[in-house]
Amino acid sequence: MSVIEFTLNGRQQRLDVESDTPLLWVIREQLSLTGTKFGCGKGLCGACTVHLDGQPIRSCSFPVSLVAGKRIRTIEGVAPSAEQLHPVQQVWLEGSVPQCGYCQSGQIMAAVALLERNNAPSDADIDSAMSNICRCGTYPRIRTAVKRAGELMQGQGVVGLFDPRAGANGGPDSEQKESQA
Amino acid sequence: MSLSRREFFKGGAAIGGGIAIGLTLTGCGGQTAYPGASASDLRPNAFLQVRPDGVVVFQLPRAEMGQGVYTGLTTVVAEELSMPASAIVVEHAYYHPAFRDAEFGMMMTGGSVSLRNNYTILRQSAANLGEWMRQAAATQLNTDAAGLRVENAAVVSPDGSAIGFAALVETAKTLTAPEDAELKNPADFQQIGKESVRLDALAKVTGTATFGIDCNVPGAVTAVMRRCPHLGGRVKRFDDNAAKAIKGVQDIFEINGAVAVVASGYWPARKAADALEIEWDKGALAGLDEAKLLAHHRELLLEDGRNVAEIGDEKSAIGERVEVEYRVPMLSHSPMEPPNALVSISSDKVEVWTGSQVPDTVIGVVAAAIDCPREQVVVHNQMLGGGFGRRLVPDYIVEAAKIAKQVGKPVKLVWSREDDVQHDYYRPAATALLSATVDNGRVTSFGGKTVVPSIMGRLMPIFAEAAMPEWLPPAIPRSLAGLARHFDTSMTEGLGDTNYRFPYIKIDTVRDETPIPVGFWRSVGHSQNAFFTESFMDELAHKVGQDPVAFRLQHIPEESNRYRVLKMVAEKAQWGQAPAGQFQGVAAHDAFHSSVAQVVNASVKGNAIQVHKVVCAVHCGLAVNPDVVRSQMESAIIFGLTAALKSKITLDDGRVVQSNFHDYTMLKLAETPEIEVHIVPSSEPPTGVGEPGLPPLAPALANAVFAATGQRLRELPLKLA
Ligand code: FES
Ligand code: FES
Repeated sequence: MSVIEFTLNGRQQRLDVESDTPLLWVIREQLSLTGTKFGCGKGLCGACTVHLDGQPIRSCSFPVSLVAGKRIRTIEGVAPSAEQLHPVQQVWLEGSVPQCGYCQSGQIMAAVALLERNNAPSDADIDSAMSNICRCGTYPRIRTAVKRAGELMQGQGVVGLFDPRAGANGGPDSEQKESQA
Repeated sequence: MSLSRREFFKGGAAIGGGIAIGLTLTGCGGQTAYPGASASDLRPNAFLQVRPDGVVVFQLPRAEMGQGVYTGLTTVVAEELSMPASAIVVEHAYYHPAFRDAEFGMMMTGGSVSLRNNYTILRQSAANLGEWMRQAAATQLNTDAAGLRVENAAVVSPDGSAIGFAALVETAKTLTAPEDAELKNPADFQQIGKESVRLDALAKVTGTATFGIDCNVPGAVTAVMRRCPHLGGRVKRFDDNAAKAIKGVQDIFEINGAVAVVASGYWPARKAADALEIEWDKGALAGLDEAKLLAHHRELLLEDGRNVAEIGDEKSAIGERVEVEYRVPMLSHSPMEPPNALVSISSDKVEVWTGSQVPDTVIGVVAAAIDCPREQVVVHNQMLGGGFGRRLVPDYIVEAAKIAKQVGKPVKLVWSREDDVQHDYYRPAATALLSATVDNGRVTSFGGKTVVPSIMGRLMPIFAEAAMPEWLPPAIPRSLAGLARHFDTSMTEGLGDTNYRFPYIKIDTVRDETPIPVGFWRSVGHSQNAFFTESFMDELAHKVGQDPVAFRLQHIPEESNRYRVLKMVAEKAQWGQAPAGQFQGVAAHDAFHSSVAQVVNASVKGNAIQVHKVVCAVHCGLAVNPDVVRSQMESAIIFGLTAALKSKITLDDGRVVQSNFHDYTMLKLAETPEIEVHIVPSSEPPTGVGEPGLPPLAPALANAVFAATGQRLRELPLKLA
């Protein structure tokens, strides 16, 4: 066991964990945030997608030891407040994107990560960023929703709750964020 | 949402005209209390209640697994009560006999019947509740109920003053609950037939929707299992020395022919399971592989089998004989949420938190598995992270119950994706011989013979294990009777019962008894039989030199819905005018009382098939929420595309070769074509939408590939030579 510290949705965490435990199980079982899902355990489906310093990662295949000192954001930390949805969640809702919903946390995390660095993605950008599996086949609606959310974010100058500039290592896209703001 | 003011009870020309299928909405003989109610609630029937605070609660009698019942069924209730669907509190219903499906005799979500079989029942239930409140208001106001109307959880007087439901509950309790209130005139519908946002979408975009895997109770431990990779095999002996050394591991034991590992969480349990050294008894399927299975099917094809349909005179079958073999592989359901169940056993109660399509079967099998009275078993059903038929089989729940009993603590059993892919109840592999006679440019006969296992035949023992007379759903004896004749409709559905007309039609089936676990996979027998039929129809069209759409139309009755959707899809897809470099294929199929036709635009580069666009026309009766209908067509098309282009479960030495999404691959967004869905306007009662969009996809695509290459692919997944 070892002690690991990181921030989760803006909150400092200090945990005693087996260092090889995938982040997914730490989030779901120790921190009791169950919005992040288990789908394959092998980094193949994206149901477990969370952000590590703004980058989407597949938490089922990411040992918790590697998140020491990093900032993790999950679906629970995407909305700016309890009363307000993130633009991605908003268009997802309006477009009735979810079916069973099980993959949707991961889909939304992938979309937020894409749009917070590029809010006018091309179809090719969407194709490569949105590689999560949806067994229910919500893909056509996801494509439409990603574009629509991008427009909404352009209009609002939204960069979401997570701001890479606030972090120690800045984030690769801080320049772009600056220009949007 | 604006609800216009209107006469609530005018005109009784309701669709379906009252309760036609014989369920008692009120009372239920009074033997079984309605679940989910508190004593202070007003409870006119099993489905609805009004809380003392005036809130209307709907007990959702079917599992929400993505298909939209949460929204669709609630909309039906909201319509009759003239209130916004979003103002109704929806709860997953606990088991109660009143929630059994009239057709299947079980509280089951499947067969695309949720809306079809609950539409009238729910309208009546809601209308009765509204009428009850109206009468309560009339009593309180000492006036005639005729002038009052129900709106937004209140009763409104002609002068516009309103009394909320909360103020009416106690008065209503002193009155007799109405049982046959008049239904709303469909012409006055404000919500049914209109688009609306899914009611479960908010929870699903915020990560707060609760699935079985998200449930927890204090003191619960996690279990995983190592099952024999050879289907039907079991553990011989195992060495758990290395496994036991892993931190967090609490218990390791043999159960159900497999080895269970119980630990403090998923990760230590999984690590320990992987560290087990196990020697397996490979069981009855040892040595079985694809080649042997196909050889066996080909042998069976030589048998006469059982005749399912024979229409017309055999003497009409004149001319040149055409005979071709088609086949499809086994498929796993692989819903995104792997099977899981949390079971907590106390001295007088067994609680199960899971996602299941059959809560009453769960009660029966759990009671039998741990030897307790059925009355003690409570199933807390959750949102299902996909069903597709997988969650019709409660095997994973039985495992969890047995482990919980053994360890004496609440246990959450979680399957890995590998467990899921390798231990499913699969869509069976099927082989078919399609035949026809062609005389002078005219098809004079159509024949089909399938070789396929009987799903009911295979699943019966599982259900029968728990089959005590008191819970035994009527459907089971019916099916048993069917089995006595060695006949299961899934073996030929969509092949033997199409409305194609030829001078002579003969459909036969031979049962494959190989003991591979098989189950109900989205659209069941239609998933393969439509591929056989609609591909072969295309072959025949080309054989007689006719356009595939025209050829089909010529052989389908003009007054049928299939005729309508085929006409519609041809027009919407601009049949015959594919963009340069693209080729079109068509198929039309009836399933679950709905008709669906699809045109696929595809192109071929080298050996790669690219699907550009799918145009779909559907007739599903009244579309309660057209957007849900569209989403189900999209869903089934993509599910069907995955099966047509990618999926295949194969056996080697009786074990499933594939294990996870790297070798059992799924269509992804980048490969998803444009999809366009058209709904035929209809005021007929609603019919199925969850499954019927799937069957036409594979043949429409195979037919497009033929148009592009001249290669007739008679096997799924489609692979160009
Ligand atoms: S669960 Fe992590 S990628 Fe599938
Ligand atoms: S919505 Fe069910 S898996 Fe994506």
